[in-house]
Amino acid sequence: MTRLHRQPICVASALLVPFLALASPPWLAIDGVGPAWAVLWLLPWALVDGPVSGALSGVALGLVLDGLNLGGVSQVPALLLLGWWWGRLGRRAAPIQRSLNLGLLAWLGSVGLGLSLILQLWWRQGGVLDPLTQSWGLQTLWCQALVTGLLAPVLVSLQLLLWRRRVPS
Amino acid sequence: MAPTLRPGKSRWRGLGQLTPWLLLVAGLLMVRLSKGAGFTDAYALLSRPFWPGSAQREWVMAATNLEDLSRLQLLEDDNRRLRALLELHQQGSAQGNVSAAVISRSSRGWWQQLQLGKGSLQGIGRSDAVLGPGGLVGRIDSVTPSTARVKLLTAPGHAIGVWLPRSRRHGLLVGRGSSRLSLRFIDKDPDVRPGDLVATSPASTLLPPNVPVGVIQSVDEQAVPAPVAVVQLIAAPEAIDWVQVQTR
Repeated sequence: MTRLHRQPICVASALLVPFLALASPPWLAIDGVGPAWAVLWLLPWALVDGPVSGALSGVALGLVLDGLNLGGVSQVPALLLLGWWWGRLGRRAAPIQRSLNLGLLAWLGSVGLGLSLILQLWWRQGGVLDPLTQSWGLQTLWCQALVTGLLAPVLVSLQLLLWRRRVPS
Repeated sequence: MAPTLRPGKSRWRGLGQLTPWLLLVAGLLMVRLSKGAGFTDAYALLSRPFWPGSAQREWVMAATNLEDLSRLQLLEDDNRRLRALLELHQQGSAQGNVSAAVISRSSRGWWQQLQLGKGSLQGIGRSDAVLGPGGLVGRIDSVTPSTARVKLLTAPGHAIGVWLPRSRRHGLLVGRGSSRLSLRFIDKDPDVRPGDLVATSPASTLLPPNVPVGVIQSVDEQAVPAPVAVVQLIAAPEAIDWVQVQTR
């Protein structure tokens, strides 16, 4: 059986991420903040396909999403590290499939992504973040982490089920 | 019974007979001094069922709106003539407006942006001003032939020059991620108070002049080196489905 990244239908599923990011359905948002779709796609991909594929997919996804968003801060570094970390977890640990574990991993990934964006904002503003930006950043981070962590048990489990059938270990 | 010999009693009796008349005069004086307040209030209370209905009120409001529109048109013509005299770049003319639908909205996440359904093929270019109901919403950040991306005023670090029509002071409006923006002043005493309107500068050539942006919510007089105000936007990007792009 070929690897996941050699199956066009699996690779094509990544196209859903930018489209979902653009659509940003308001009924899947907390206080107007939607989930981190890139995290929800990258987590099962990296768990199944390994660290190198996870990191490369993270970079590719980050570049596409950076192109769709305003400039200034980038998602590439965080997605690269998350893809690598989740890929290692999938290779070295026992298969992760419990809803709680998947939700927790997605929650951690979303928090890491948000922290990397806040860090870049802080660095761009000369090492200072005014109170209004701080409160907005933290609120966005927690809202996105919460909605991502809640959606992960459903969406990530489904993707894991489908992709593990195609690539049995 | 013998008649009393006390002379004061008859005098008091005469005064007692006059009392109603004195009270009447006092009442009339009070009516005069209060400009008939009691009568008008009572008349208003009694005649309330016969007041003009909502139809008449709508006619009056329609007439008032028409008058306001006529005055606005006259003022715009006057403004255009004066700006031509000053040789300022003409903006805000009706022929430069492009209506565009919002096809994607991200007003509360990490990136405050809108995606519009029209682009360079319709004449939209980078840095064009984007207006929604209520005032300025943002500026065009990038365009494709059929879409345009709007950087909202709320985006962190997005800064535009504005002024306060009441005090005629300039400031720099900076986005902070939330719907409240920071307004940094140059003067130490900007004469600003909560409730003041914030608009684009009448001499602006980068943005359409005299467009409402927001309202001062609070002022931090102790900020260094100059006071800083918090501004609430008038146009709410999360509730806008159509915008006007003012092309240059």
